[in-house]
Amino acid sequence: MNIGGSQLDASWFLLLSAVLFGLGAVGVLVRRNPLVILISIELMLNAANLTLVTFARQLQNLEGQLFALMSMTVAAAEAVVGLAILVDIFHTRDVEDVDDLSELKG
Amino acid sequence: MALAVFFVAAAMAVLGGIGVVAFHQPIRSVLSLVVVMLALSILYLLLSAQFVFAAQIIVYAGAVMVLFLFVIALLGPARELGRGRLRFQGWLSGLFVVVLLGLMWAMLQGVQYRQPDKTDLSFFGTVQSIAVGLFTTYLYPFELTSILLLVAAIGAIYLSRKRIDDL
Repeated sequence: MNIGGSQLDASWFLLLSAVLFGLGAVGVLVRRNPLVILISIELMLNAANLTLVTFARQLQNLEGQLFALMSMTVAAAEAVVGLAILVDIFHTRDVEDVDDLSELKG
Repeated sequence: MALAVFFVAAAMAVLGGIGVVAFHQPIRSVLSLVVVMLALSILYLLLSAQFVFAAQIIVYAGAVMVLFLFVIALLGPARELGRGRLRFQGWLSGLFVVVLLGLMWAMLQGVQYRQPDKTDLSFFGTVQSIAVGLFTTYLYPFELTSILLLVAAIGAIYLSRKRIDDL
């Protein structure tokens, strides 16, 4: 892939995207503050977006960029609803750990 | 030149990602995520995705992150104290990341990408070309997105309303 006159392989972008996705997955698994878990999910969504834009450039096909825009919209909607649920939970109860939210376990 | 820009932006993104996971105060995680988003927007510019670059800065680094900051300001600083109940999660996540990166590395060994059909990149990723795609071929999904946003807005208002039994 020829970017700005220098040869830059698409594999670098894919590898960076994998690293960011892995970091987000670690955040979801390790962190226990529900807010930080939402932030980590945003990180994973961004990593997926980078992959989409990379392949759009590599194949010179705009559909990847359009899909990245759609996924940005979905991510914004997800953040809004997720944060509204969080604020509701935090207001009704004193929660400092996602492990406290285990009512659905039965 | 592009190589240097890529590696600086990639280093910024990875360091920001580590910050998201490692910082104990949520506000620092959010600010680290802003760093990641700005670094990714630089990469989008490298990949000649101008409109995605602008949308990333305005929508993500602007609107969504401000939303996160408002929620943190509303809920107050919450620190994580002590250890979690599921101690194997740390090991599990480490294993997951190692396996994922190993798979990616193995896949990218000697990979050959298909050559693109056309070579003219002067209009690739501009607002004009994005709009042509968005308002012709993908008009239907684009309009459905507005319904999705409406549903999300109504849901957020419903969730954050005052309860009747509170009054």
